[in-house]
Amino acid sequence: MGNMIKTIDVTDSLTNLKDACDLENGRISGKIFYDKTIYEQELEKVFARCWLFVAHESQIPKTGDYITTTMGEDEVIVIRQKSGGIKVFLNACPHRGNKVCFAESGSTRGFICNYHGWSFNVEGNLVGQHESGVYEDSDFDKSQWGLKEVAKVDSWKGLVFATFDPESPSLQEYLGPMTWYLDALFDNQEGGTEFVGGCIRSTYECNWKIAAENFVGDILHAGWTHDSAARAMLGGAVAKVSDFEESYSVNWNGHGYEFALDTVGNVAVLGESALNKYLHTIKPSVAERLGDFRSNMIGSVSSCTIFPNFSFLPGQNTVRVWQPRGPNKIELFTWVVVNKSAPEEVKEKWRKGAMMTFSPTGVFEMDDGENWEYCTKTARGRVTSQQDLFVGLGMDTLLTDTPLPANVYEGQLNEANSRAFYQYWFDMLNAKSWSEVPDRNLGKKEAE
Amino acid sequence: MTALYDELRPVSAEQHYRVSHFLNYEYRLLDDERFDDWLALMHEEVHYWMPGIENRRRENRLEHGFYAADHMAYFDDSLRDLGRRVARFQQPSAWAENPATRNVHQLTNVEVYYGETDGEYIVHSTFQSVRSRGLDEEYVIYGRREDLIVQDGDSFKIKKRLILIPNATLTCKNINTFL
Repeated sequence: MGNMIKTIDVTDSLTNLKDACDLENGRISGKIFYDKTIYEQELEKVFARCWLFVAHESQIPKTGDYITTTMGEDEVIVIRQKSGGIKVFLNACPHRGNKVCFAESGSTRGFICNYHGWSFNVEGNLVGQHESGVYEDSDFDKSQWGLKEVAKVDSWKGLVFATFDPESPSLQEYLGPMTWYLDALFDNQEGGTEFVGGCIRSTYECNWKIAAENFVGDILHAGWTHDSAARAMLGGAVAKVSDFEESYSVNWNGHGYEFALDTVGNVAVLGESALNKYLHTIKPSVAERLGDFRSNMIGSVSSCTIFPNFSFLPGQNTVRVWQPRGPNKIELFTWVVVNKSAPEEVKEKWRKGAMMTFSPTGVFEMDDGENWEYCTKTARGRVTSQQDLFVGLGMDTLLTDTPLPANVYEGQLNEANSRAFYQYWFDMLNAKSWSEVPDRNLGKKEAE
Repeated sequence: MTALYDELRPVSAEQHYRVSHFLNYEYRLLDDERFDDWLALMHEEVHYWMPGIENRRRENRLEHGFYAADHMAYFDDSLRDLGRRVARFQQPSAWAENPATRNVHQLTNVEVYYGETDGEYIVHSTFQSVRSRGLDEEYVIYGRREDLIVQDGDSFKIKKRLILIPNATLTCKNINTFL
């Protein structure tokens, strides 16, 4: 079919990947944050193959509602269909390649290219052109020239993902048992979640992996990096993570979630007692819905990244994508997620609180940016970039006797998730096909 | 403000001078990192608002065109919120503020009008904020502002501030200042 996306050939691994990481010995090389040829490989082997977050269902409730975003550096339109489903198209006219939708969101009956007036309906079909007669004279087959549709679109509890690769595993298989943990934030109440309106975008001069890895399993930085913000919001230091009696780092296919079981550690830093109270109020019903264990995770000290670049913080309720824009640049798209059933005043406090803490003006995020940028920029140095970086905390902490699903490691102050993230990244870059991606998962596929 | 020019009520040259002088003074406090003195210029009911800018088609305009009150914002602050931001700047552990960011705030195109009640003034202006950090980082933010200021003895207090930047994507990592 003409409207099906043309898949790209995966080129051979480059020698630049040699010595990129040695995770069994807990080390990575600084060059992975700056090397242009590695970045080009990432666009092809990671972003053109993996499932990428593109929207929340609540952003496009009605037929013709759309948002535009990017998958890697590829621009796409995410649009609700009459059937209730969602389609994702390349935001590029199949005639000369011009962008067909310049708005970030809206509602429409179709898209008309500004260049030669090619007109597409909500289903992506080409329905007309300026001077359409000349196309007819050339035996033009309209049915072959619709907007190019991505290979697969699927969703989990309101989170819509898409992939360019028809060979990719199903979303369910890709996420694996991580869905069990995702539900602690995205399905803890009847009706699920919704995004607050709008999207705040900012630009960092950092490599996308630095940011994604920070959320995959680096709570270690919080107590130090964010001391100033915690004192400003709480009047004291953040909770000492090493004091928690029970906490975990779990991962699967490079995704990672690190969490404590303190229920409100994350939400507390918003400095809004009404939000702590809301979580305590819903906790018994969460326990009924998801069990006691996950009812302790709804706003606890925790963070998560779904490989490669979708991250969120339960409690602060910030949801984000680290959009790659070159080896040393990202655009950060952020949204705020709330339970659909939450009282309006609770949603409003989250809208403000998430931005007060985690946004370009957020008192917490302020101190992340400089760290991430200079983790990247130091690798400009030819010699510096060849040096080993340490990622070896918690080497022998795998829990083999646990009812929890996924690869479960003891403790949050642990770099197991970071290692798993870089390992999966490395495996994807080296694999010419999905069947060549080694299965390194050790844990259970389902909770016991 | 949608009124035609001849329906507006611009203040006298002398009052215009007082108000614009006050706003220039406010900006100098920020450049000098005198955050407590700056905070003291805020009205106790201040609403300090910088909405996120959304790139929408004309036929899909939001409540205010390209922004809406119930959407995400850079600032949507009360006096307590502003105080918390200032408190972070002042922590010795605000690592990304040491060495300090060097600021230049400029205010131009100032128009001052009488507000609805005595002692209230509506001020339209444009601004430019230049920040530099480290050896070579430079960030410039341009925008338009609408302030509501109220007479407070011989001085003024800022009761409302609406900050609009033209950018739908911020071209830097943060806004570690006030605008």
